[in-house]
Amino acid sequence: MALGARNDAERDRTVDGAASGDNSADRATGTTARGGQSTERGVAGGELVDLGTFVGDPPEHLDPALNSTLDAYQVINLLYDGLTDLDTSDPDNPVVKPLVAESFEANDDATVWTFKIKEGVTFSDGEAVLPSSFVRAWERASDPDFAGDYSYLFNFIKGGEEKLAGDADTLAGVKADDEAMTLTVELAAPYSNFATVAGFQLFFPMPSAVDDLADQTSWENELMIGNGPYKLESPRNDQEIVVVKNDTWAGDVNGEKWEDRLDKIIFKVSADPDTAYNAFEAGEGLTANVPPGRAKEADENHATTQNVKISGTYHFDINMENPAVGGEENVLLRQAISMAIDRDAINEAVYDGIRQTSTGVTPPGIPGFEEGLCKYCGYDEAAAKKAADDWKAAGNSQSAPIKIQFNAGAGHEDVVTIIVDNLKAIGIEAEATPMPTETYFSELAKGACEVCRAGWYADYPTYDNFMYDLFHSDAAGGGNNYSQFRNAEFDKLVDDAKQTVDADEQGELFRQAEDILLNEDVAVIPINWYVGDYVYNPDKVANFPQSGLGLVAWEQIKLKG
Amino acid sequence: MFSFFVRRLLLIIPTVFFALSFLFALFFVLPGDPATLIAGGADRVPDPGVVERVNERYGLNDPILEQFANYWKRTLQWDLGESFQNRRSVNEILGEKAVNSLRLGIWAILIEIVVGISIGVLSAIRRYSIADKLTTIVTAVASAVPVFVLGFILQYAFAVYPNKHDWPEWMHLRTQGMGPDTWAFFFIPTGETWRHLVLPAVALASVSTALATRMTRGSMLEVLRADFMRTARAKGLNERQVIVGHGLRNAMLPVITLIGVDFGTVIGAAVLTETTFSWPGLGSEIASSVISRDLPVTLGLTLVVVLAYTVINLLVDLSYGWFDPRIRFSKGGKQ
Repeated sequence: MALGARNDAERDRTVDGAASGDNSADRATGTTARGGQSTERGVAGGELVDLGTFVGDPPEHLDPALNSTLDAYQVINLLYDGLTDLDTSDPDNPVVKPLVAESFEANDDATVWTFKIKEGVTFSDGEAVLPSSFVRAWERASDPDFAGDYSYLFNFIKGGEEKLAGDADTLAGVKADDEAMTLTVELAAPYSNFATVAGFQLFFPMPSAVDDLADQTSWENELMIGNGPYKLESPRNDQEIVVVKNDTWAGDVNGEKWEDRLDKIIFKVSADPDTAYNAFEAGEGLTANVPPGRAKEADENHATTQNVKISGTYHFDINMENPAVGGEENVLLRQAISMAIDRDAINEAVYDGIRQTSTGVTPPGIPGFEEGLCKYCGYDEAAAKKAADDWKAAGNSQSAPIKIQFNAGAGHEDVVTIIVDNLKAIGIEAEATPMPTETYFSELAKGACEVCRAGWYADYPTYDNFMYDLFHSDAAGGGNNYSQFRNAEFDKLVDDAKQTVDADEQGELFRQAEDILLNEDVAVIPINWYVGDYVYNPDKVANFPQSGLGLVAWEQIKLKG
Repeated sequence: MFSFFVRRLLLIIPTVFFALSFLFALFFVLPGDPATLIAGGADRVPDPGVVERVNERYGLNDPILEQFANYWKRTLQWDLGESFQNRRSVNEILGEKAVNSLRLGIWAILIEIVVGISIGVLSAIRRYSIADKLTTIVTAVASAVPVFVLGFILQYAFAVYPNKHDWPEWMHLRTQGMGPDTWAFFFIPTGETWRHLVLPAVALASVSTALATRMTRGSMLEVLRADFMRTARAKGLNERQVIVGHGLRNAMLPVITLIGVDFGTVIGAAVLTETTFSWPGLGSEIASSVISRDLPVTLGLTLVVVLAYTVINLLVDLSYGWFDPRIRFSKGGKQ
């Protein structure tokens, strides 16, 4: 998802929660160890106060049908379990596994998906999770009067487009059989990664309680009922979101139930990352967010997740339709720009050296990822100078400095300054061009990009979430394809890959497509891949697992005795 | 007196009308299409269908004049609408935030009144003493240090440092939020709440206290030289009666005006303090609603802040009569 990029200060929007409910915890035990239960990894239960998830504003939405931020997804992911989930036990090779589903299978061309639902899974109020619970949730989330930012994902499903447009009352492609415990989904077009997408929050199940609501928007302001490892203790409010252990939880993708998990997690809302870090250091919480510029200090004094690779990319798009930098005739110029940039220096100077220098757009943790795809991403001033000179020798010249654009006030100034210096060193004139944040991305979508800063977090861990959503011609001219990159060969490879069921074959096709993007057309300049940004108190917290999607496996956290 | 009161009350109507109409107009002039932003457009390119539905839902497709007329129609019935962001009723948001702001504001103003005025008076009486010079320096620094810097230092000194050095628990103050949020007589913190209140109240009061101190001192110095002070002493009043009863009362006019304005500010515009200490008040809510183009929240909360300002100003004006009996409000009043 594009949101939740804390280090880039791309903060999400504002919101309020409902009035505070009662504060009685049914089984809170406090952080102190209970005698004799101490294990090697830590003690059972306990309470954790987190100061790092909601930094800025309280979450706008907590309803999985409406949320579009990583912040709130942290909590939603605790409250609900979907059809599938990612097993990240081996972070370099994440595997999609059934979760509430017992199994899933697709037909040969990946147009019809059948999910067999596990028997005996219940919501926290005891209601059974049935195939119809998913249909209920999906019909609700695709209701055009209610639909949220991510509702367009229903376009994957047959009849989704009509439903969202208000031309149909139901999703034609979805069938539930509660007797046989099967959920059958017919897609609008072949898509071999649907099982991964089906684990995304938008597709989480809903209990029958939502049917009784007069207004669906009230759900997230009440005591939402879910089927995840935790449940809300009280309706959310602006100061905190409190979740407690859900004893009816069915366990994770590997059947592990984490019986000793924390009894209670309190997500505090703080208004500013620096002062929230102060609160963390003052002992008001056990986990927080590393504020910009304090990465090293946080590593030295506490423990952080800055060694966790997050599936997100920070890059600059080059507008292929801009005569100054785009087109066939400027390939050498684009190669020169890419090779002239000292990505390691950017990492050191701006990010305290914690980020991973990119070797492609698609980040690690995405199935099909391979290191080192990009030929022009290594810093090579001599080669860059030569490419620039060759470009000039071919009769080209600069009529104006190249505009390096970025959304102002979001921490990108320093990166762009280094790039401008790097380009000057090879004889290319460039200028830093800040643009207003409020309209930045919509301006880029309209074609305002020349060389423009962009970033992207995986919504769900698929290669097409990067290649299709950011560079396919479908996403050009108003979508997220700010490069206005249109390449028929690339499109065909991506389209084919999206339909290919075999994982190795699919990965190969996607990498071929990315090769065209990076090395033939040079339409994008990867800079770095994101890393985790949680800091925690190692004296009290035994482990803090954060996945490549940025989600924390809160249920696996143990406190020290 | 009564007709003055009525005239001032009536003046509130155009004040509120122009302030909010101006804000309303500004909303449509600001860069960024509200529907696009509501649909998540600050971070990515939103789905056009979603944008269209947002436009539809909030009537943003209607002509602006029609939206304007509808807005006032609803506002006159105190229907402040609901948030674009999460559809919570603005009245509800207002109820929550206004109370928090008021509680913090009351403490900041109490600090300003007690500390500002007393130090100002002492400073004036002991002019050129070491204490007076020290006051001048401290107030200059306090009014120059930005609130978030002061807040940060306060947090470090009274929360982080005690925690790192294992000070006894009762010496730890808190940096975030309102804690248990328990109060007696509306504004007296009970239980652990006081630990959360102290730092934001001090930070919020800092600049205005410094200004109040300097203004009290200056005003006092002027009054101390006045003839009626000599008269007061001559007729045998003790020094305390002279200073408090005659001096301070006469010196109060500008200070009261300042405090009145400050009260409006601490309630409605304490954005930095509220942000630094995660105190969920009106100011930061208005600020973030502007950023997210949440028009009903911006307008609804501002309406209340504007009302509070005008009412407080009216009270300040009325208090002039008490402080300085020479001031009379009715036209052609008896002198």
